[in-house]
Amino acid sequence: MKNRAPWHAPGPNRRIAVLAALLWLGGAAPAAAHFQLLYTPEAALPQSQALPLALVFSHPFNNGYTMSMGEPEAFYVVSQRGAEAVRETTDLMEYLEPVMWSGVDTSAEAFVANPPRRVTRSLGDYTFVLTPAPYYEEQEDKYIQQITKTVVNVGGLPGAWDEPLGLPVEIVPLDKPYANWVGGVFRAVVLAGGEPVPHAEIEIEYLNHEPQIDQRRFDPEARVTPPQSSFITLSIRANALGEVTIGLPKAGWWGICALDLDDGLMHNDRDLSLDAVLWVKAADMTR
Amino acid sequence: MIWRDSVFAFALLGMYSGAFAHTPICDCYDNGDDTITCEGGFSDGASAAGIAMRVFDSSGRILLEGEMSDRSDFTFDKPDGNFRVEFEGGDGHLIQIDGRDIEE
Repeated sequence: MKNRAPWHAPGPNRRIAVLAALLWLGGAAPAAAHFQLLYTPEAALPQSQALPLALVFSHPFNNGYTMSMGEPEAFYVVSQRGAEAVRETTDLMEYLEPVMWSGVDTSAEAFVANPPRRVTRSLGDYTFVLTPAPYYEEQEDKYIQQITKTVVNVGGLPGAWDEPLGLPVEIVPLDKPYANWVGGVFRAVVLAGGEPVPHAEIEIEYLNHEPQIDQRRFDPEARVTPPQSSFITLSIRANALGEVTIGLPKAGWWGICALDLDDGLMHNDRDLSLDAVLWVKAADMTR
Repeated sequence: MIWRDSVFAFALLGMYSGAFAHTPICDCYDNGDDTITCEGGFSDGASAAGIAMRVFDSSGRILLEGEMSDRSDFTFDKPDGNFRVEFEGGDGHLIQIDGRDIEE
């Protein structure tokens, strides 16, 4: 999944994606990464409310095209009200609704979910977890599966935001993913099999086109314009302890993806890249 | 866990002077069966177990007293008429929630 570009899209959308990207950047060749979105509008909720969710496989920065998702293997939320409280898991598969989701140039199969408010009724942290079906990446002739976490807090009472969930691969926050000022940094540790992954390959993208869940699409209007293609997908390495630190220069959602964390996994006789994604939200300091 | 539909009322202590390392947090919701449940804790994730809870009527008379359970919650029968709930976090860490803000 290294620096996958929009022209990797299979089918007739490929040329459109290439053309749009070239026009957009004035001829430069952009590189964009696949990211599994597990989106909800707000990460830090003053009070409980029902949370709309969108599960979309896309390129969050340039939104060149959106890729079809299969039925997820798992979709649930882990909640904890206070650091010493019991952790609870609520399965959310019953709330999945298949939809066609429009990117700027393409549309693809995705999912939305509207769990009732009772699911997020209490104070505390809610870590939404999605294990999507493996996605076949034709260009690389392999599968990609991105186990994705999005952490939401209700009321300011923290829970298990900094605890591993025992996933095969995951990015474990060292800072609250829902409480970050613009201009700050966010830190996390990349784990595979519960162990830190030294020098893990990391990609970072800003969610540049806000999802509009009611309209099943991304906002066609981009929030920022990169000065050059290197700024679309920021590629870094974890340190020797598997720790990642990123800056947060703009309000909104930031995706962190640790690539290919498995040890030779296969799916349908092809390589499977098992990735971990974590979404982090930054807020402006305003009155 | 079985949840009941309820409407959320939330309060943070922000009105007292002094610097607090940990902000007390409390909210209450109406269970829809003539009971109210309040949840509490602190911004560092600390439990509110044992924190004193009081319910007053509109004249300031104490209707009932109790404390947060080991699960940092407190459930009581919904009083008739207006009432308010107080979460006593100690050292001036007092949160007051008006019963009219606790909606079903």
